[in-house]
Amino acid sequence: MKYELVAGFETHVELQTNTKIFCSCTTKFGGDPNTHCCPVCIGLPGTLPKLNERVVEYAIMAGLATNCEIAEIAKMDRKNYCYPDLPKAYQISQYDKPLCEHGYIQLSNGRKIRILRIHIEEDAGKLIHNHGDTYVDYNRGGVPLIEIVTEPDFRSIDEAKEYVEKLQQTMRYIGISDCRMQEGSMRCDVNISVRPEGSEKLGTRTEIKNMNSITNIAKAMDYEYERQVDLIESGGEVVQETLRYDDATGTTSSMRSKEDAHDYRYFREPDLVTINVPRERVKEIQARLPELPEKKYARYTEEYGIPEKDAAQLTKYRSISEYFDKASEGLKSPKTASNFIIGQIFRRLETEADKEALDIKTSAEQLGELCKLLESGKLKNNLAKKALDQMLDSGKPVTEFVSESDMAGLDDATLTEYCNNAINAMKNAVEDYKSGKEKALMAVLGNVMKQSRGRADAPSVIKKLKELIG
Amino acid sequence: MITREDIENIALLSKLFVDEKDIDGLTEEMQKIVAFADTINSVEVKSGEFDNINNLQNAFRADEVKESLPVEEILKNAPEQAEDHFLVRKRA
Repeated sequence: MKYELVAGFETHVELQTNTKIFCSCTTKFGGDPNTHCCPVCIGLPGTLPKLNERVVEYAIMAGLATNCEIAEIAKMDRKNYCYPDLPKAYQISQYDKPLCEHGYIQLSNGRKIRILRIHIEEDAGKLIHNHGDTYVDYNRGGVPLIEIVTEPDFRSIDEAKEYVEKLQQTMRYIGISDCRMQEGSMRCDVNISVRPEGSEKLGTRTEIKNMNSITNIAKAMDYEYERQVDLIESGGEVVQETLRYDDATGTTSSMRSKEDAHDYRYFREPDLVTINVPRERVKEIQARLPELPEKKYARYTEEYGIPEKDAAQLTKYRSISEYFDKASEGLKSPKTASNFIIGQIFRRLETEADKEALDIKTSAEQLGELCKLLESGKLKNNLAKKALDQMLDSGKPVTEFVSESDMAGLDDATLTEYCNNAINAMKNAVEDYKSGKEKALMAVLGNVMKQSRGRADAPSVIKKLKELIG
Repeated sequence: MITREDIENIALLSKLFVDEKDIDGLTEEMQKIVAFADTINSVEVKSGEFDNINNLQNAFRADEVKESLPVEEILKNAPEQAEDHFLVRKRA
């Protein structure tokens, strides 16, 4: 029998605010242990949390970017559990009135992954286990998070991978998080079940935690899918439980079963007042959102005729797409700028981090200037390429590297002279061409190009050569 | 109605040790507490919009960093500490 995979995601994203969600301590990553703490975030009695306005704003941005409805009235709740990473023995989160609900992210296969909700909450501290003892650092405690919960809409691992990538890209575009999975600023839990193909009924699900890369998410889902199918095929039953993914062995193991599932005893957080989001505020935030990657992609492919593969590269990071937008301003064919970026500029940016940082000496305006010279026919392609390399090395504008005479092109007399020189110098090649070897003419063309230092235009040279050779 | 099992469950969740001989007494006390809350619930209120007593909304704080406390102050009340961390001992 064939089995279908059914999965849903819960993703925690750390917000890049300056301060924690309920106090004015810094959110900076790292730092000496327990140095980013105050009485509020270590949960001392008698302290009063106060909500960071930017957390609400960022969550609304995340909601709008994922097509959610923004709640008019939201509130905070206490989620109770006893564990040393939580100094108050409860986490302040949102239960039945989250800030955002009912959104979706559309995948490239056209399917929509529905987003059930996005809520705000505080992060827990960091635990370091050492010979059975636990060392607690509360620097991360109280750092603001949003949790994005999807419906069980995933039917394949590829869909899951694309979703995580898209989410990451979107959150980075709107500038609310760096979404670095390795550093824990984006963390995914996956609910996964299997069912016979064609069946409507959901199977018993397990939840996998502790995956710190997209590769591991794919591996864990693959392992868990096979494990559940094998279990059912051999007459067993899937048990609802929480699993931990072990990167070293590529397997999942049980953390806790349904029997000792938490009873969080949620209740209204009495220390924090209601959040009221006026509709004008939503509109104002909406107006400030940058153009999202999907829209840019559509614009690049449909309006500019840029190949899909290139458009995907241009839109991967906001920095690149904004550079491209600026460079291609006023160009007849923005593709000119795109080709330079994906070719010569990307060659200098080795890693993904380099691409995102886009630390190059040539400004978008300078690239635009070069493209305009190329479009107007003043500058030939090979000269433009050479100039761009020099521009990227030095940070100087194109005019530093191409002279007026380079841009003037060749007059007919000079072109004829160069062609005659070449015909005389390369008698063998000319003979070969005459005897029918079309390709031999390329060698003669090369000679002319060399004489002209790249100023000649290849099609006109060929035309002239053919004329002269007869 | 609060039962013995509820008390045992609450004790478990709160990580409290409750002596067997105290459970019946606690059950009775808890029943009284919940009954008192029920009295409050039975009061008829007209407005369903009650939120908080001061009708406060949107008490926000600007996202501006203030200095945190020195680590010595933070760890002052820690039952145990090691290497500038709170230390939680393994339970025997």
